[in-house]
Amino acid sequence: MNCNEAAPMVVAHADGEVDGLRGHSLKKHLKECATCAGKHQAVLDLRTKLRAEVPYHHAPQSLRDRVLATVRAAEGRSSVARRGTGERWGWLLSGALGGCAATVLAWFVGTAVLEWRNSEDLATEAVTAHVRATLGGHLTEVASSDQHTVKPWLSARLDFSPPVRDLASEGFALTGGRRDYLGGQPVAVLVYRYRDHMVDVFVRPQQSRAATPPLRSIRGFNVARTTGTAMDWVAVSDVNPDTLTAFVQRLAREDASP
Amino acid sequence: MTGHSRFEEQVLPHLDAAYNLARWLTRDAHDAEDVVQDACVRAMRYVDALRAGDAKAWFLTIVRHACYDWFRRNRPPEIAADEGAIDAAVDTAALSPEQIFTRGAETRALQDAVAALPLPYREVLILRELEELSYKEIARIADIPVGTVMSRLSRARALLQRSPLLQAIDGQSSRGER
Repeated sequence: MNCNEAAPMVVAHADGEVDGLRGHSLKKHLKECATCAGKHQAVLDLRTKLRAEVPYHHAPQSLRDRVLATVRAAEGRSSVARRGTGERWGWLLSGALGGCAATVLAWFVGTAVLEWRNSEDLATEAVTAHVRATLGGHLTEVASSDQHTVKPWLSARLDFSPPVRDLASEGFALTGGRRDYLGGQPVAVLVYRYRDHMVDVFVRPQQSRAATPPLRSIRGFNVARTTGTAMDWVAVSDVNPDTLTAFVQRLAREDASP
Repeated sequence: MTGHSRFEEQVLPHLDAAYNLARWLTRDAHDAEDVVQDACVRAMRYVDALRAGDAKAWFLTIVRHACYDWFRRNRPPEIAADEGAIDAAVDTAALSPEQIFTRGAETRALQDAVAALPLPYREVLILRELEELSYKEIARIADIPVGTVMSRLSRARALLQRSPLLQAIDGQSSRGER
């Protein structure tokens, strides 16, 4: 490939848009041509600078609350009419419900108990728990990047002591932890940040269960599961599947050490 | 699954992305909240049209529409600018007094330069560099061909690299090796 052929693709390559054979010969050209390599590097440099210096604006809690209130007001109006059609996960999201009619609430709770008993699908449960925590804005009950703060907090509130490790050096920064429920029992959730993505890692003492696929995609979230020597690990995030799987396996490898 | 739970499970997880886009387009925290709320109401209404797997691009398309409608009602000049007038806007002269006031700190220079980009360039840059979307997704959200995404992106980057704001800072820091 020469510069004339490469030039229109250099920037697209830096944006991850060139793959396959063309990507391969372009990479080769970049190694040989300082001019094109410079253009390529300029895009990457600007990106690094942008991500470091330009703020990503997260939605304020007040906005989240207002949107949820709007949704639920609409839900309250239509659920009465729709009652009985079976709203599979609606109950889970009704946690912060305030203004909804009492009859609808009672129905939600009733459904909740049934759903909870019937639910065998851990991955789906984990995704739902992750979504619920994200929506409610309470991903962490204990917010700390220090594993020596998060671990004792969780151990004091659960009947087991989950291994907690900060992997900031590998891109996964520990931001805190919380308790949640999975398969009807309290579990530890370690919350990590990977770039702009939140990752929930559910940890519980190992159980003999039928083998499940290690990776699933549910409603746009990836769920990676693995089993360590003492614990079951389930990671949920919109991080790409390979990265998530590698991460959860890395955590599970550590779980023998205290 | 009903529309409302679909909305809560598939659309709401992208509320941060929605707010980030609206905030960068309107350049104002309060206006961004208004826009996102309007977008949520629209998204709830049309959530049945949402196909699995592309909730983020779908929602951001609605947010962008809500933004432009908001501009039409509140700041028509921002969307009236034609491509020819756009270059003139990227100039210290085009900065508002608040922007000049806040641009003392070195770390704010790039942020201010992004905020000063004309709207059509700012939106593709934010979608690519902060939201990490593909050309195809950006094309869909901004309702332009992929070729236009590429040319606007490259223009946005060139404008940032030769922005007077950044050049002033670079000049200072090279002089500032005291």
